[in-house]
Amino acid sequence: MRTTLASVTALAGLVFAATSFALALPLRIPGVAVFAVASAESGGVIPYLPAVFILGIMLMFLAAVVYELLPDRSQTPPRPPAGFGRRA
Amino acid sequence: MAMRLEPLPYRVGQFSSGTLSLVVVLLAVIAQGLYAFSYQLTEGLVVTGMRDVGTMSGSTWGLYIVFDIYFVGVSFAGISTAALVRLLNLHHLRPVSRMAEVLTIIALILAAFSVLPDLGQPLRGIVHLLKYARPQSPFFGTFTMVIAGYLFASLVYFFLDGRRDAMICAARPGRLQRFYRLWAAGYRDTPGEQERHRRVSFWLSLAILPMLVIAHSTLGFVFGLQVGRPGWFSALQAPAFVILAGVSGVGLLIIIAAVVRTALQAQDRLTPEVFRWLANFLMVLTAAYIYFMLVDWLTMTYAAPLHESRIAGALLFGPYARIYWPSVAALVAAFYLLLRQFLTGRYRIGVAVLCGALVNAAAVGKRLLIVVPSQTHGAMLPYPTGAYSPTWVEYSVIGGLIALGTLLYILFSKAFPILELPEPGQEVVRR
Repeated sequence: MRTTLASVTALAGLVFAATSFALALPLRIPGVAVFAVASAESGGVIPYLPAVFILGIMLMFLAAVVYELLPDRSQTPPRPPAGFGRRA
Repeated sequence: MAMRLEPLPYRVGQFSSGTLSLVVVLLAVIAQGLYAFSYQLTEGLVVTGMRDVGTMSGSTWGLYIVFDIYFVGVSFAGISTAALVRLLNLHHLRPVSRMAEVLTIIALILAAFSVLPDLGQPLRGIVHLLKYARPQSPFFGTFTMVIAGYLFASLVYFFLDGRRDAMICAARPGRLQRFYRLWAAGYRDTPGEQERHRRVSFWLSLAILPMLVIAHSTLGFVFGLQVGRPGWFSALQAPAFVILAGVSGVGLLIIIAAVVRTALQAQDRLTPEVFRWLANFLMVLTAAYIYFMLVDWLTMTYAAPLHESRIAGALLFGPYARIYWPSVAALVAAFYLLLRQFLTGRYRIGVAVLCGALVNAAAVGKRLLIVVPSQTHGAMLPYPTGAYSPTWVEYSVIGGLIALGTLLYILFSKAFPILELPEPGQEVVRR
């Protein structure tokens, strides 16, 4: 479970980073719908792609935190101290 | 009878009168920097020494960019040392690992802050970079890889590496107990968790190192790819940036390690062996940079085009010679001292600290010589030769930033052990 979640986080980061980087490149494909969201001010580039790229890079490194912080499936909870929870 | 609690190690939470006095002085310098920055914001960049290139015979990049590059450079040594310790099992350098990580994080924060005053409208600059930065521009790489990716990766590494010590600190009651618990995030130091952390740290180090080289090279590309600016356009810029970053970073790490050793009386952890490793590392990096410098010097004086030779003249014999030659002398002197230690096998911490100071002074000088002369003396059009001299505003802002970095470092060392706590079974440090 932990490995899966960490892998998904890293993969999502990679997809975000690679896609935003590719879309931010000055490749003009006439008639492609994605460029319709770009304003004249942005010179044909979809706004906030650098922010998505940063998010992607961060997600890739966040995968390490996910992997290390999530508990093991087999991990047993700590045993309570003797007498804990008993009625007097 | 109330139980007497053992204080946290390495003087965590303890402020001596000397430390408090230093904090007050640093706060005063920061206040002066803030005043200068607010004055610049209201009056505009005209209160600085920066002017337009060519038409106003000035330099649009000055002290702020010089120190931005310097701070990014300093950050190099921190996380690279921590990553190399992990990857190559350099146990001798293990005690400086956390100091190095903190140095990286603080230096990157200062680097981000150094760029802001260089922008006439800092907020607009940040928003527009997030909105419209283009990947074909080196600024895209500097902004995304250095400030965001590199800083975030360092924070992740630092957070995970500190969980064990946070768990130990959280076991003792105190005002920061909640903070330590939050940082420990349920860590219990079981063999499984240790193994998992070892595995994560290894892969994280492996991912950070290439990113680090890319980030520092990108900073070099900001200058190295400018074909219309003589003195900057060079394939050597990127690798030279990486090497000089290592030189200044390792030099500063030696100084910090020596200060921590004295202040915390940590002679048992920061042994001369630690300084021997760092000094040798610095010697190799300094030698590599001197080689780069010689190649650069030979290229620009041998048969350079007119504009390149004009910059060479300004550097070697002109107005910048008073910065160039002392910088070269400082680098060569540091290399000589380090080499002598290496050949004789007699290492002295004081000499290593002196070399750290020399290479850092040289690094600031070299950064200035990279940034400014190409703007004042490198015009391709027939503009008159320019000049740049920083004003009190720039000195105050940079002074404030250095004070802020020092203050953050001191405050961190008072909130968390700046040296990793000993492994179970080792001697527990009581200070």
